[in-house]
Amino acid sequence: MSDPKKLHPLSTLLTFFRELKSLVLPIVFLFFMGNGEKHNIWDYVPIIGIGAVILFVLVSGVVKWLRFTYRLEENELKIEYGLFVKKKRYIPVERIQSLDLSAGILHRMFGLVKIRVETAGAGGGSDSEAELTAITKAEAQALQQFINEEKSRKVLANKQDARFEKAESRSDRDIFYQAGLFELLLLAATSGGIGVVISAVFAFLSQFQDMIPYEKIFKEAAHFIEMGTIVIAILVFLVLFVAWVISIGLTLLRYAGFALSKEEGNVVIQKGLLEKQQLTIPMDRIQGITILENPLRQMLGYCSVHLESAGGAGEEKGSASMVIIPMVKKKKALQMLAELFPDYCFSASLTPLPLRSASRYIGRACLFATPPVIAAAWLFWPFGLWGLTAFLPALLYGFARFRAAGWNVSAGQLTVRTRGVSLQTVFMLRHRIQSLEMIKTWRQRQRKLASVHSVVKSGATGKKIKVTDASAADAEEIYQWYELRKKG
Amino acid sequence: MKEPAKRISTKALRVWRISGVISSVFLWLLLIGASVAIFMNQWPLWIFFILVAVGVAEVLIVVVILPNMRWKRWRYEVREREIELQRGVFIVRRTLIPMTRVQHVDTKQGPLLRKYGLGAIHISTAATIHEIPAVEIEEAEEMRKVIAALARVEEDV
Repeated sequence: MSDPKKLHPLSTLLTFFRELKSLVLPIVFLFFMGNGEKHNIWDYVPIIGIGAVILFVLVSGVVKWLRFTYRLEENELKIEYGLFVKKKRYIPVERIQSLDLSAGILHRMFGLVKIRVETAGAGGGSDSEAELTAITKAEAQALQQFINEEKSRKVLANKQDARFEKAESRSDRDIFYQAGLFELLLLAATSGGIGVVISAVFAFLSQFQDMIPYEKIFKEAAHFIEMGTIVIAILVFLVLFVAWVISIGLTLLRYAGFALSKEEGNVVIQKGLLEKQQLTIPMDRIQGITILENPLRQMLGYCSVHLESAGGAGEEKGSASMVIIPMVKKKKALQMLAELFPDYCFSASLTPLPLRSASRYIGRACLFATPPVIAAAWLFWPFGLWGLTAFLPALLYGFARFRAAGWNVSAGQLTVRTRGVSLQTVFMLRHRIQSLEMIKTWRQRQRKLASVHSVVKSGATGKKIKVTDASAADAEEIYQWYELRKKG
Repeated sequence: MKEPAKRISTKALRVWRISGVISSVFLWLLLIGASVAIFMNQWPLWIFFILVAVGVAEVLIVVVILPNMRWKRWRYEVREREIELQRGVFIVRRTLIPMTRVQHVDTKQGPLLRKYGLGAIHISTAATIHEIPAVEIEEAEEMRKVIAALARVEEDV
């Protein structure tokens, strides 16, 4: 595999679409600017501009494809690319953590995959990784195999048999979890996606002011109002319902076929219906495990499980937190996790916070409610005083947060549970914690309380896990658990 | 719990006082502007006295009290397997950084620190950065070497 290879020509089109997507706002802007009546040549500038931009993007896509080559040589993945300046990126094979595959609709029509090369680069960010936009499945497999072999040759130079054994067992990886239809539906129904859809619909409608005869609609709306509020209520309900159904559909597309498996010290995730994705997370890059239960799911006894990984591939940009189990009964999740991650302990019983810190949690929640309440009381005097009732949910919320909070330290592990809206339980091994801080504010000192912040690496940066307002003795216990100084 | 053993340099007090003075200058300019307005418009004189009181109090706090309290709190200790820091006037923070997690150590020196022969030490892990703000520069350089060596030893294990 040492001669330079090109990507599949389809990557031209894919690059074109991707670049176009990032230019969509300026193009729309230009389009509306050039939409007026044409009097002289200057009025055509926006239209010509759009044409030029699109042409440039198309040509640059072709040139990029022409200049992009990759090859495996001397134990390195060598990629050469660049539109004007020729750039070379050589990645030593042993630095490659994993190859993440994904395939969109276009990819799948041609039997192609996109490959993202994850390296152990400390810098993180998109620039430290390499991406092969479109190569055939066969080529991807060859690449994967070559890299695996190179890597295992290094590690198992004197254990030839072990390598063969491993190569064989790789084909049938153990699938730990597969999302069933019921779980997927539940996932979709209880996710917060509906808000996104509604705002998208509004954004969409506001884009087409010229085409939709709003005035006419408003006149008809006046008729509607005469028809009574019930009809409107039903309509609003219908719109919300449709948005909900759409959000369910989107979630289903995204998570359909979700499967979690373990393979040679890697966690492998596959998901997606239209765009298929395969993510590989090396076990030794895992920094922490999180169980998340939003209130709705908590009531039903379900949860999702996330990983903090030190390598780049996150769910969303900027975070390296990724879902490994989107929806599962909590009991089953604990069983599965215990099997998947034998180093961790998932059954530790948590120490709650002392009762005296409840008032601090409640106080903080009420503090956030105060400005709107004052504003309401002042603007709509005296009816605005009803705003005071907002303190009741704030009080309950504060208390719920207090009750949810808890911590545990065992031999090599710190477990922290907190609630934002969702209940979040984070499991961290001691040697994965980057640093740990004990914090006592002036008020906390008076009440013999303290907070503990531990930082784990997550993607390129860190993630802070907080135990807020534990008793000072407990906080010191956590602190001393982390301390390496010889005790006594 | 035992506090970390070492204090930062006493010269840090002077550096903080000077930067306190510098930051007070802005407030004083504002106060002087306000005083001019008071005399021009012949507003009651007690407003002027309040302004003076605010200015004096600010200087007292920023230049004398806060640096003292900060210095008294600041402790650090570089042990074989970890670094411990303690700092903060109203919010006291104690931090542990295991040697295994240290990725690199820098010493930095701004103009003020250089004048007093001090240096600041920045300790970076993969996810966090910690600062010891004012140590004698020779000690800082020494500490940088020691930490780098200790961090490397730990990594080999």
